[in-house]
Amino acid sequence: MIRPGIHVAFVLVQAAIFAGFSVAEEKQGSSSKSISSNQVAQEVDHQILAELQKAGVSVAERCSDEDFLRRVSLDITGQLPSPDQVIAFRQNKDPDKRSALIDKLVDSSEFGLNWARYWRDVIYFRATEQRSRFNQEEFTEWMAEQWNKGTGWNSTVTAMLTASGNVEEHPETALIFAQGAMSEDVAAEACRVFLGIQLQCANCHDHPSDIWKREQFHQLAAYFPRIAERRMNAGMPEYEIVSVNTESRQGDFMRENPEMFIRAFDRDNDLKLSKKELEAGPKRIGRRIAARMKEGNSDEMQNEGMQEDKMAAGRIPAKAIDRLFAFGDTNKDDLLTVEELKAAQPPVNRRRGSTEHHMVDLKNPNSLGAIVDPKFFVSGETLPRGQTDEERRAAVAKSFTSPENPWFARAIVNRVWAEMLGEGFYMPVDDIGPTREARYPAVLDLICQNFVANGMNPKWLVRTIANTETYQRKIQSRPASENELPFASATPVPLRSDVVFNSLVQVFGVNEGEMNGRTAKVVDKKEKKDKPRAFLQSPRFLFDTLFGIDPSVPKDDVMGNIPQSLMMMNSRVFRARMSAGKNTQLSKILDEHKDNRDALRELYLLVLAREPSAEELKICADYIAEVKDRPEAFEDMMWSLLNSSEFVSRR
Amino acid sequence: MTEFSWHENVALNRQSVSRRRFLYGASAVAAAGAVNFRDVMSVQADELRKQGRAMILLFMQGGPSQFETFDPKPGTENGGPTTAISTAASGIQIAEGWEKTAQLMNDIAIIRSMTTKEGEHQRAAYQMHTGYIPSGSVKHPSLGSCIAKELAVTERELPSVVTIGDRGNLGSGAGFLGVDYEPFQVSGRSVGTVPDNVGPIVGEKRFTRRQGLLDKLEGEFSARGGETVVNNHRRIYDKSAKLVLSPMTKTFDLSLESAETKERYGNSEFGKGCLLARRLIEAGVTFVEVRLGNWDSHKDVFDSVKGLASKCDPALSALITDLKDRGLFDKTLIMWTGEFGRTPKINPNTGRDHWPRNFNALLAGGGIQGGQVIGETAKDGMGIVNDPVNIPDLFSTICKSLEVDPAKENMSPIGRPLKIVDGGKPVAKLFS
Repeated sequence: MIRPGIHVAFVLVQAAIFAGFSVAEEKQGSSSKSISSNQVAQEVDHQILAELQKAGVSVAERCSDEDFLRRVSLDITGQLPSPDQVIAFRQNKDPDKRSALIDKLVDSSEFGLNWARYWRDVIYFRATEQRSRFNQEEFTEWMAEQWNKGTGWNSTVTAMLTASGNVEEHPETALIFAQGAMSEDVAAEACRVFLGIQLQCANCHDHPSDIWKREQFHQLAAYFPRIAERRMNAGMPEYEIVSVNTESRQGDFMRENPEMFIRAFDRDNDLKLSKKELEAGPKRIGRRIAARMKEGNSDEMQNEGMQEDKMAAGRIPAKAIDRLFAFGDTNKDDLLTVEELKAAQPPVNRRRGSTEHHMVDLKNPNSLGAIVDPKFFVSGETLPRGQTDEERRAAVAKSFTSPENPWFARAIVNRVWAEMLGEGFYMPVDDIGPTREARYPAVLDLICQNFVANGMNPKWLVRTIANTETYQRKIQSRPASENELPFASATPVPLRSDVVFNSLVQVFGVNEGEMNGRTAKVVDKKEKKDKPRAFLQSPRFLFDTLFGIDPSVPKDDVMGNIPQSLMMMNSRVFRARMSAGKNTQLSKILDEHKDNRDALRELYLLVLAREPSAEELKICADYIAEVKDRPEAFEDMMWSLLNSSEFVSRR
Repeated sequence: MTEFSWHENVALNRQSVSRRRFLYGASAVAAAGAVNFRDVMSVQADELRKQGRAMILLFMQGGPSQFETFDPKPGTENGGPTTAISTAASGIQIAEGWEKTAQLMNDIAIIRSMTTKEGEHQRAAYQMHTGYIPSGSVKHPSLGSCIAKELAVTERELPSVVTIGDRGNLGSGAGFLGVDYEPFQVSGRSVGTVPDNVGPIVGEKRFTRRQGLLDKLEGEFSARGGETVVNNHRRIYDKSAKLVLSPMTKTFDLSLESAETKERYGNSEFGKGCLLARRLIEAGVTFVEVRLGNWDSHKDVFDSVKGLASKCDPALSALITDLKDRGLFDKTLIMWTGEFGRTPKINPNTGRDHWPRNFNALLAGGGIQGGQVIGETAKDGMGIVNDPVNIPDLFSTICKSLEVDPAKENMSPIGRPLKIVDGGKPVAKLFS
């Protein structure tokens, strides 16, 4: 029942959950029993073309080899092809060269990295917990590995929904950490990102324009009430995602019933509590837990402890005890008295909560509200009250990723398609669902079926889409009417921040670290360990703070802004890299090509990965004549190409 | 250019409407025929909606202690060693260290009964900037961006929203309102000089020549199907170039201010930020936020607030004084606040921890009646005795001052309309 070799650590933890889980997952990509990428691509093209023709929409022709090479390289690996690659690809006479190139790109390590950065943006752009940036670098590495290995999307998402532990050591906690482990936020975000359904409007009222009821949202949130984010140390802050399976309401209990609280822990019967007594746990239950621990039966301990006496099983963590003394022990005698406990005023902690999800009564918003039990709104699957965090999250992951849940495959297929073609079957990509209407629904379902049959392998998905003629059409400006069928042509859309950054790195011929104008420092493993968050100062990160776009927003709505164009126009670092002076790509071109036309061709190949047109050659020749200074004119031309809309767009 | 003539010049930008443009607009409608009264009025409203109103938010990041600022409790256990001083407004006392602000108390209203439920910095700061609690599904626009959308003249060289100081996004962005209302960030480091990348790296002549070349070379991509992209790109580049070449960028350059002026604001980064805020408001910017960090005083609250007050007190008072001198005070609302307050009980590290239950906000200008205190807290500071003001109330008050309709809805990307302010009532006493 469990596939060997697929991220073993995770499988061990989840072994029990996967029993009975029936997705036919296969080893990486090399699928044999289902139809191939190319066959699916052809069927997709056939159906789309038929609809376009039926609607009388004129279809753009196939794009040129130059345009295809740039497009597919940027889309699959986030890298601009080099001038040599452009020339070699053009000269290659193999009729299947496009397909062969796609295979090569999908199998390169940049494939996973490029898409991991896409997912990093999807998740962190909507982070409500700003500190979550801490683990975004680790998350990117982890996600890149999943995509490069061809891990099934169901397994990847299961890992993300069931993740716990130190957020940097377990970066698959990303989505939960990004939402501060708040049950309602995690539920809403998981639903939006992985199912493409916006349920969170129903948090406060029945969805105004959709079928969702308030209760359905809260039933989903009821899978997540027991996750918590915890700060692990006092110095360099580290965070972990933990399961809280016991009522953590000692704080309230302590203040409301200080006498009882003291009696529960007071082993020497002096009506005062020492640190030791608190550490030992409540008297009666404490002894039992100690005995169980000796037997090594911790699972049973947890379950039984929880069922029999939730409050008592929850021993107070050492840190909380320290805090309690710091705040409560006013006379500093290292003992807590009834009076001190009554007056204790712990800092506000809104995470303090119940182990069950409560739906706030709108008429009485200050009350806790009624308990709501977990129920998955798509399938109606339920979970009884009182389940552990691990059980709940395993269950919700199973329901989310089940092949019986059509929205799971549709959401990812629609997202990847939209990212590669500039427009999806559903738009926006995070607002799909039963009341939305897809364009070409049969095509989407065709891809989804085969995606599932291929183990939900993202490599298969990207390869299939890239192989369609639909993907390979020439660009045209978007149709004037919104109702017009999409996909009759390719759409020029803005490139993501990382892709623009990669392109600049390549055009300037430098290392990433040199993009801030300094000489690059090679960061070794040890240094990375010493300065785990050094990336927050890296040129890539800083560039992203300016150029980052939320990948869930339709590309039509993404526009450049003034600080971005100011940077491209006026950055001193860029000026140095565009200088014709010394040791730059431009100076090399000018040295090697004394003929202006040759030099121009090289410049166009370098920056735009294509040859200049006759018209462009003329404009540039006129410009050189006007300026009368070859290096200065070429600097201006390079500046113009880098500042062009084409450089920052997919064509 | 002398400061006076520059001042006069920019006064036309925001305070008064360009008469010529208005007349042109009205006659264009007239020429189209069938003009009724409402048509004329709507043209007029469009031209006049700016009303010359603006706002400066002084955001005290980290959560300032109410005891050590504007709600001191001298002589009580929770009040600590902080003493109170009298102010120009009889009967109003504030904490020591705010002597200059005290002198202007007749222009300032203190709200001592601000209250929220968010006790975590990010969430609380997000709420204080947007009026909403954070949600993964929608990026709420900040109040500043909403106000700019309602009040700013769109064809301007300077951005309509500017944030000065720490770069962190505290919900201060434009959210789904998009790039037109995204704050222009001036980092603390560059306060006083023209910001990064605004100054051209080549001479003006070469800059313009390059731009001409870029424009011609864009033709190819435009013809090959990139027309829409090229047009959008051009629009932004034109705006950027306008800013680069604009004399208005001098607004950012504080070397044009006298040493005496800078001294009055206190030569701190925050003081410079407030001086820059004044210059930006004069130049027609609609919303400026200036941030001062390090208010999160879990340790040594008394010393740390003393240090912060020494930066904040001169800057705040100089800002009010200057706006009054320039006749901008009545149309410019100044708000001073943080994301929450601090615990009444002093912790073992002589600090105070997070306390959202009651905290302070100051309002001045923009038609606010100064010299009064709204709300009252208990003698020991443990909660509000009367007139609680929540964040929607505060935001409604701001909207009333700026003459913006708080119930105006903006459409979020998923088609869910969101009001500028959800609920809340303006604090009536502030306008009496």
